[in-house]
Amino acid sequence: MIRFYIALWAAKLFQVFYNLKGFPKTDRPGLLACKICPDFLERIAKPKLVITVTGTDGKTTSSTLLNNFLRSQGLQTSFNDWGANMMAGYAVNLMRGVNIFNHSRIDASILEADELSLDTYMPRIKPDYIFVTNICKDSLRRNGHPENIFNHIEHTFRLLGERTKGVINASDPISCELNRDGRNVYFAMGDTKTDPFPNISKDIAICPRCGGKIIYDYRHYRHIGKFHCESCGFRNPEADVYADAVDLKNRKMTVNGHEYPLISDTVFNAFNVLSIVAMLTELGYRDDTIAEFLGGQRVTNIREDSVEYNGIEYIAFAAKSQNVSAASVVFEYMAKEPSDKDVVLLMDEVQDKNHPTETLTWLYETDYEFLNSPNIRKIIVGGHMYLNHKLRMLLAGIPREKIAAVEDEADIPQNVDREGITKVYVLFETDCVTKAKNMRDAIVRYAKEGK
Amino acid sequence: MKNVEFIFPEYTNIYGESYNMEYLRRCSPEISIVETHPGDVPLFARGEADMVYMGCMTEEKQEKAIELLIPYRDQLIDAIQKGVIFLVTGNALEIFGTSIEGDEVMSDEKIHIRGLSIFDYKSVRHMKDMRHNSQYIGNFDGMILLGHRSQYSFCYGDFDNYFIDIFKGIGMNPDTKREGVHVRNFFATYSLGPCFIMNPHFLKYILRLLGLDDDIPFEKEAMEAYEYRLNELRRTL
Repeated sequence: MIRFYIALWAAKLFQVFYNLKGFPKTDRPGLLACKICPDFLERIAKPKLVITVTGTDGKTTSSTLLNNFLRSQGLQTSFNDWGANMMAGYAVNLMRGVNIFNHSRIDASILEADELSLDTYMPRIKPDYIFVTNICKDSLRRNGHPENIFNHIEHTFRLLGERTKGVINASDPISCELNRDGRNVYFAMGDTKTDPFPNISKDIAICPRCGGKIIYDYRHYRHIGKFHCESCGFRNPEADVYADAVDLKNRKMTVNGHEYPLISDTVFNAFNVLSIVAMLTELGYRDDTIAEFLGGQRVTNIREDSVEYNGIEYIAFAAKSQNVSAASVVFEYMAKEPSDKDVVLLMDEVQDKNHPTETLTWLYETDYEFLNSPNIRKIIVGGHMYLNHKLRMLLAGIPREKIAAVEDEADIPQNVDREGITKVYVLFETDCVTKAKNMRDAIVRYAKEGK
Repeated sequence: MKNVEFIFPEYTNIYGESYNMEYLRRCSPEISIVETHPGDVPLFARGEADMVYMGCMTEEKQEKAIELLIPYRDQLIDAIQKGVIFLVTGNALEIFGTSIEGDEVMSDEKIHIRGLSIFDYKSVRHMKDMRHNSQYIGNFDGMILLGHRSQYSFCYGDFDNYFIDIFKGIGMNPDTKREGVHVRNFFATYSLGPCFIMNPHFLKYILRLLGLDDDIPFEKEAMEAYEYRLNELRRTL
């Protein structure tokens, strides 16, 4: 116990130091705490409500909405909103919720959690809810394949048992199989008539129960939709929270008979909102309170940020490189969003340049074919992977004259069109927000200088 | 026509490896890709395959693939002996060994799965450890081959019939520079890539083995990307 208190006080002291230095969002105090006291996560006092948000895509948006809502209702919360979604991040998150005597002083902790290490850390924290957005194809290098991620999350539920309730996406044939023997709240969406493009590589190719063929009545995007197996009868679980009318254009949807505003016009963000409605309904909040809150929410400007110059909107837009599902969904959005546009690909992971484990595999599961669309006038790509992107685009059928591939990213701005388009999208890997905004600003500057 | 058998595409639907078949298909109108699904009698078992391809798969699917191929083990050996071209990538090579052992995510018990025992090596999974990721540069028959590996398991054995002599990076496990299996026209490697995209020279070699013209789509761009990558790996590995 003494060791725990030394860890807690040292971590709090370090946190004060980092706050004074102007770096409040660091997980280093948590790392220190866990080093001094390896069972720090077990020993630290938890608030009366702990919600873990995990899944391949949408966990940052969903956990941010959840945290914002609870705070809007006057609750004191802690939230690892700086992207540290593993041990040290959880330690800092929970440490902020206790005083120096390890007494909880907040109402709730929201833990955005990495899927792969979930079964290592969540049994120590014992959350009340684990809320799983979806399971899709993700980074090969870290996560392998969706079955592997499923196994880690399922293992977590089994270790936690009845005490933890799942909030589960019933429209996802992979994650809907989680915690089948436990307590779950299921959410699902009716036909959005989004008519998604077929993907070259499926997140789930066959029925997870019998290996039979999965038939879709409709899909929303990728493998998310209404499905059944023609061999064993596997189908979507019955939803407790069901969106039966979704109007993406006018940004609203009806869930269990109540109307809610959406935060953007994309179906994946509609799912993020739906998942939040499911979570908050489960917590007992009224539909009009939730709807009023959602009316004031937008996609965070970390994910989407735009400036306008001379009739062209320049947008930095998160796409997640090496995450096959997220990148493909964004490419599809580029094709379906009707404006005439140039697309800049800034999707190489920062670490790759100096790290000899960078992979091409994701390029050949990602639907570059979607970028072969008449409203996409040019695709500009730079960086050390430029020749690989170029080859992939050519194999995707994109005309050679639409591709500008340059080794030095500094040469990107001069290749961006300044007429004949209304938008320029800079698609970026989520670890590179600043780099993406700098590139977007360099493109605007180049246009202003009229070079 | 040259029949290229794509074994269990629904099992080997990961890591972009299926693009090997797409790229190969585009190389020649003489190539016919024939998919063999679970429960089908494989083309090689009927003596109708000019080439057989099997890509990497999930751990659970490895077990199912072994179960489905065991009845055709003798025909597999026969096809290999007759010089049918095989390309086996990623962890699909493990099913051709004697066993797959190690741990799994959901249980503390050790697993032991009997392989097809066509070659004398075993593989060991480390599902609870960090995934191993690395790249390599190696030599096969005077060709410089590049590979990316991303795996939870390694193979152990003598590897007398290895495919690639690694000179930068690791082979079938961290203690060997021998990578893959090469017996007659049977080629197996842990490498992901997709292998043909990473190694256009090897794709041309396979096309020649098939008795076809060795032109490949976007050859100039494929070779430029290969050369750039080779230089980059020489600098960084």
